Amino acid sequence: MNTTRRQLLVRVGMLGGVGLLAAACAPSPAAPTAAPAAQPTPPPAKPAATTAPAATTAPAAKPAATAAATTAPAAAATTAPKPAARVPAGELKVALPAKIVALDPHGAQSVEEVLHTSIQHVMETLVKRDPSNNNIVPGLATEWKTPDPMTWTFTLRNGVKYHDGSALTSADVKAVVQRVIDAKGPVAPLFAQVDTVNTPNDSTVEIKTKVPVGTLLASMTLLPMAPASKVNEQGFFNKPIGTGPFKVVSWSPDADLRLEANTEYWGGAPGLKNLTFRFYPEVAPMITALETGEVDFTWRLSPDQLPVLKGNSNIKIETVPGYTYFFVWMNSSREPFTDKRVRQAMAYALDVDKMLNDLLPGVAKRGTAPIASTVFGHAPQTPYTYDPAKAKQLLADAGIRDGFDAGVIWNPGSGPQDRELIQAMISYWNAIGVRIKSQEMERAVWIDNLVKLNWDLDFQTNATTTGDADFTLGRLYHSRANRNGHKNPDLDKLLDDAVATVDQNRRKELYAQANKIIWDDAAGIFPFELLNVYAYRTRVSGFVPSASPVLSFTPVTVS
Amino acid sequence: MTTYIIRRLGLSVLVLWGAVTIVFVAIRLAPGDPAQIMLGPSATTQEVQALRTRLGLDQPAPVQYARYLLQVGRLDLGQSLRLNQPALEAIFERVPQTARLAAMALVVAVALSFPMGIAAALRSGSLVDRSISIVSLFGQSTPNFWLGIMLILVFARGLQILPSGGADTWQHLVMPGITLALPLVGILTRLIRSGLLDVLREDYIRTARAKGLAARTIMIRHALLNMLIPVVTVLGLQLGILLGGTVIVESVFAWPGVGRLLVEAIGNRDYPLVQAAILVITTSFVFINLLVDLSYGYLDPRIRLQ
Repeated sequence: MNTTRRQLLVRVGMLGGVGLLAAACAPSPAAPTAAPAAQPTPPPAKPAATTAPAATTAPAAKPAATAAATTAPAAAATTAPKPAARVPAGELKVALPAKIVALDPHGAQSVEEVLHTSIQHVMETLVKRDPSNNNIVPGLATEWKTPDPMTWTFTLRNGVKYHDGSALTSADVKAVVQRVIDAKGPVAPLFAQVDTVNTPNDSTVEIKTKVPVGTLLASMTLLPMAPASKVNEQGFFNKPIGTGPFKVVSWSPDADLRLEANTEYWGGAPGLKNLTFRFYPEVAPMITALETGEVDFTWRLSPDQLPVLKGNSNIKIETVPGYTYFFVWMNSSREPFTDKRVRQAMAYALDVDKMLNDLLPGVAKRGTAPIASTVFGHAPQTPYTYDPAKAKQLLADAGIRDGFDAGVIWNPGSGPQDRELIQAMISYWNAIGVRIKSQEMERAVWIDNLVKLNWDLDFQTNATTTGDADFTLGRLYHSRANRNGHKNPDLDKLLDDAVATVDQNRRKELYAQANKIIWDDAAGIFPFELLNVYAYRTRVSGFVPSASPVLSFTPVTVS
Repeated sequence: MTTYIIRRLGLSVLVLWGAVTIVFVAIRLAPGDPAQIMLGPSATTQEVQALRTRLGLDQPAPVQYARYLLQVGRLDLGQSLRLNQPALEAIFERVPQTARLAAMALVVAVALSFPMGIAAALRSGSLVDRSISIVSLFGQSTPNFWLGIMLILVFARGLQILPSGGADTWQHLVMPGITLALPLVGILTRLIRSGLLDVLREDYIRTARAKGLAARTIMIRHALLNMLIPVVTVLGLQLGILLGGTVIVESVFAWPGVGRLLVEAIGNRDYPLVQAAILVITTSFVFINLLVDLSYGYLDPRIRLQ
């Protein structure tokens, strides 16, 4: 009896052990077991019969394209011959600083940089930004006109096909615009004034707006196109198709996004055969992976990580100005920040250059306006110098004799060195008698307090995702937004007028005035613009760093 | 036996209901609105309100609770707010990965702790015993995030023989598995050592030795099996802690499992996903402990007779 029971137990134990071992050693469910199938040799270059594509990618006819093509051709080259076919080769592995939650760029994730960066290799927009100068250049649309202030007409490129062979038509644009509006995600408000989308023929799209919308073109850079017949299907975005230079091989949340070259791409096959995106939640493993060659490309690094990488001869570091900036807001609806002099005093108390040199060397530059210098609508302002004496004087003028106490809310991880910057600023303010308490909180709580105006000071980064001033100034500084308690009817009028005209020069003038009001009123302090920092292995060539955080790896080759 | 099982199942359902209710209340007490978080700080109040309505968040809490209970009854755990996919699907996509990691940790823990525990018991008081005690203390007290990062620095960065993140090959499993296993090794080793020491003092062991049985036979047939009950109990309970440890280990090693999913869901106030994940984890924990309790009957007939 005892023996039988024990034999049973031993057998159960062995089975259990074998089961555990089998479970542990089973191949990962998510990893593909074979490398992607070899690409068929691409067809020879097609003759340039139709309006062949303007090569917005560097004209790399040769497979061994070399670095930084600042000579990206201007918009009008619609009759340039298609680049000679090159054979896509090699794999580029990109480390993502944030996770791709879903591949749908029209809905809740529509302003996520990592999503746009990856998905725009698969699904393209009508217009895009030239990385070298940030101007808007043709994408799937070759030209656009505004016959009247409330009508935008786009002419689509001929001969563009989706990955399944079907042709791009104006119906697709109509379907996508409608989808974005219906999804009510963060991008939807940009299209709130769209009245109708007409499709007079397959290659013409006419967008009519209820009022003039000066930002429509910039907003179109965030609208990737998909086939009208499939885009609203359940599950389409598990493996979406588009017109882009890469196709989706596989993806699931938490697994890599794997893309492979589309040899039929209208702009010529890309230089890479495989493009993989992987999220690293922790910085240390990501940097390690870059050093060991597990990944080839990283971005959004912080200054303390650079010295380690600078010494590595296999790694190249590039920095360019971007759309992101640090700022401090003062709650203008709360004492003592209701008084402009107090706000200005806070600005004069900071030694911005010293903080820049000591804490953000190589990753930031001095801010000169409430938005970054690369954004359309930026106008440089007179800097607030480091002048603690003047700050104290201003406080005295405002009737504050013994300083005051206040708190600053912030969320760790909002930007590089945020903790160190807060500590530095607190000590500068302390020197003029203003005692600030650091109120660190998790992101969800921080957002909650922020929108309820339950704060004295707020410290954070912000990015002007569309590259157009309206996205930041129009949405955050208008009285109806009431984001920081600052209200100015003149400013409101400027912002309303600037979005309601399609004359881009006039918009620039209006924003210049808006910049000045916000700056002089000291609605906030805007000390730093962040540079986009890219670190990648030397085997990577052809990468053109851009101000826009939406990167393109299409011109890249690896050796 | 059948009544026992039915009674235990009934209690399990009660436990699960309690867990779901507590999580439902707790996550909603935390400040922060999922719609606002999803749209970011630059969204206008109208946009946020529109999204809240679309997600069903504007209903009063008791209504949401009642709706949720009815849903769970139909085995529908709702749609993740942020991922826009059924919560259960999102979790099950990641369960295999967490299970792999937990299984590896269990294998490592058992493989290390049994030999060490037995050695420590047999050579009780010696240098071997004391060294093993130090190792198990280290395992129990080391914070797992520190250990994980140290392992990455040494093996991935320094020696470059193991990968630092992801879950593709068996090499990816080594460091996270060890990191997760170490606290369990600590606990198990000490338990095995003390359990074995107790059993070895028993009269029937002395009888067996007097009978002339080989030391090995005594160990396997008489000693080990009789001290398994506390070990098995602890293993069952530790599984819950193991699942909890996966949260940190998964973040450090970029391991795509349920733990990481839960942490992110909480940060995003993704109510359905948090509730679903807690429900899945609690169910696994309750079920495993039910199995452990049932196994007592097999391990010790004296319990079965009760």
